[in-house]
Amino acid sequence: MRPVQPTSSPPEQTQRRRRNIFPYVAILPAAILVVGLLVIPIVDTVFHSFTNWDGLTSSWIGLENYRLIFDNPVITQVFKNSLIFLISVPLILVSSLLVAVLVFEKVAGWRVFRFLFFIPNVLSPVIIGVLFSTFFLPGGLVDKVLSPFGLGNYPWLTHPFAARFVVIVALVWSSFGFGMVVILSAMTTIDQSLYDAAEIDGAGWWRRLWSITIPMISGALQFLSVINVIYTFTSLFGFVFVITAGGPGFSTTTLDYFTYLTTFENGQFGYGAALAALLFVVVLVLTAAQVKLFPQREVQGA
Amino acid sequence: MTTTSRIGRAAVFVLLCLIGISTIYPLVFMALNSMRTTQQFEVSPYGLPKHFTTADYHSLLSQVPFFQSILHSIIVVVPAVILATLCSALMAFVLTKTPVKLGNFLFWVMLTVMFMPGIVVLLPLYVRIAHMGLANNFAPAIFLYTAISIPYGTYLLRSNFRAIPDSVIEAARVDGGSWTRIFIRVVLPIAKPGIVTVGILTFLNIWNELFISLVLLHQPNNEMVTPTLANLSGKFSSDVPVIMAGLLIGAVPTLLVYLVSARVFIRGMLAGAIR
Repeated sequence: MRPVQPTSSPPEQTQRRRRNIFPYVAILPAAILVVGLLVIPIVDTVFHSFTNWDGLTSSWIGLENYRLIFDNPVITQVFKNSLIFLISVPLILVSSLLVAVLVFEKVAGWRVFRFLFFIPNVLSPVIIGVLFSTFFLPGGLVDKVLSPFGLGNYPWLTHPFAARFVVIVALVWSSFGFGMVVILSAMTTIDQSLYDAAEIDGAGWWRRLWSITIPMISGALQFLSVINVIYTFTSLFGFVFVITAGGPGFSTTTLDYFTYLTTFENGQFGYGAALAALLFVVVLVLTAAQVKLFPQREVQGA
Repeated sequence: MTTTSRIGRAAVFVLLCLIGISTIYPLVFMALNSMRTTQQFEVSPYGLPKHFTTADYHSLLSQVPFFQSILHSIIVVVPAVILATLCSALMAFVLTKTPVKLGNFLFWVMLTVMFMPGIVVLLPLYVRIAHMGLANNFAPAIFLYTAISIPYGTYLLRSNFRAIPDSVIEAARVDGGSWTRIFIRVVLPIAKPGIVTVGILTFLNIWNELFISLVLLHQPNNEMVTPTLANLSGKFSSDVPVIMAGLLIGAVPTLLVYLVSARVFIRGMLAGAIR
């Protein structure tokens, strides 16, 4: 048994206490901001979803707002839109993978290409949205390119399906660079000897892509699918606002955009709160599904 | 995973060039047409302008306080990025390197709200902010952007700090270093590339965000860049070159940050600082 330590002198005690306080002080700012500006407002939103709030006064009306939501045909349309926008997820995955694999070939100037391909990610959805909508204006760039094929002057932004297509194109263009970087980051961890062995065994380029690269980066691909699915449901506001303003009709309106219209354009705060609460539940379910489906992702690290 | 044949490599290069053009062309289109008159644009928006003109920039800047909106964005975004990155780094440090378990619950809370769209929190906050007489004030926007960036920042830095060997921390502890000292003298220097990368990502996210800036700051004397850009097509619907001029100026700040930081930023992301 070790001898009992002599009682530490007062200065040493304060020293020790100060050491132990730091971690608690360190989490304080994050805790205050996250609880005060995220958690409490979410609770506030959920509470007010049961009231007929107009921004000033509110009274309890139970599930009335939710009944209104599910009676509203626009809501069905909004969820249908989000499902259609999910088409962008495989498109982003495939384009990111293609670009990453090509860059990884390390041909002349590959670093420059890697730099260039991330540029769309640096631009605001607002800039990309406005730019792409000018491309798709009647008689715009796209019509000009298509006119030799007899497809000119298509009403891109006023036809429901074409308008969704324009949003998806803008979304994919703005996202493939991020996907490329995530995939490249995973590819750099693959052991080169696997490729050397496969090459000796006579495996061709495609065979190596399918049997080595893709299985080895499955974690990155899962991460990208999850992030982009959630993104589709929650973060198209910028694109939709500037490209279509939700139209034509409600054919490109997403849940967050519809909540925005209800609350900040029409002043229906209670109804808006119920829509926001619904959005909250959708995101929560998607986030939970991610944790359930890909529990090992964090362990794989980097 | 490389092909060795000459033809294969040539094909890869050609494909990369094509994708590169499709990445750059929209920007070139934007730049060239911002220097054409509207009449020239109507005739042909392609190729080099016959006469370069600054008329579009003049009419843009005389009607829209564009540089002011950039200044407003800087006022809001820079403090928010610094605060968020600092809070996230402190939080991630406590989670990974100290025995204090209290942070774990808070981290779990952060994970559940990490992907929360702005409107879920902004709806009640907007009402409270208006009641407090803080509508159109920069402070609420700064703090809301900070709060909304902390969960993802913490998530990224947590995996970043994990890579620092515990033995390094142990050694500093044995030498009698306080947690404060360890954070500043040991963790921050080692994790600097990761922290910078997360800071830049946070900057890009906040600077480019539309919803919060649109709802919180909507007076001409406090409007940020993204709402200003979003309103361009409404203001100059028939003047595409003027809109292009606006988009180009609007793109410069983030492009500049990316250009200046590309080396560190790309390396940081490749080292796994983004998931």
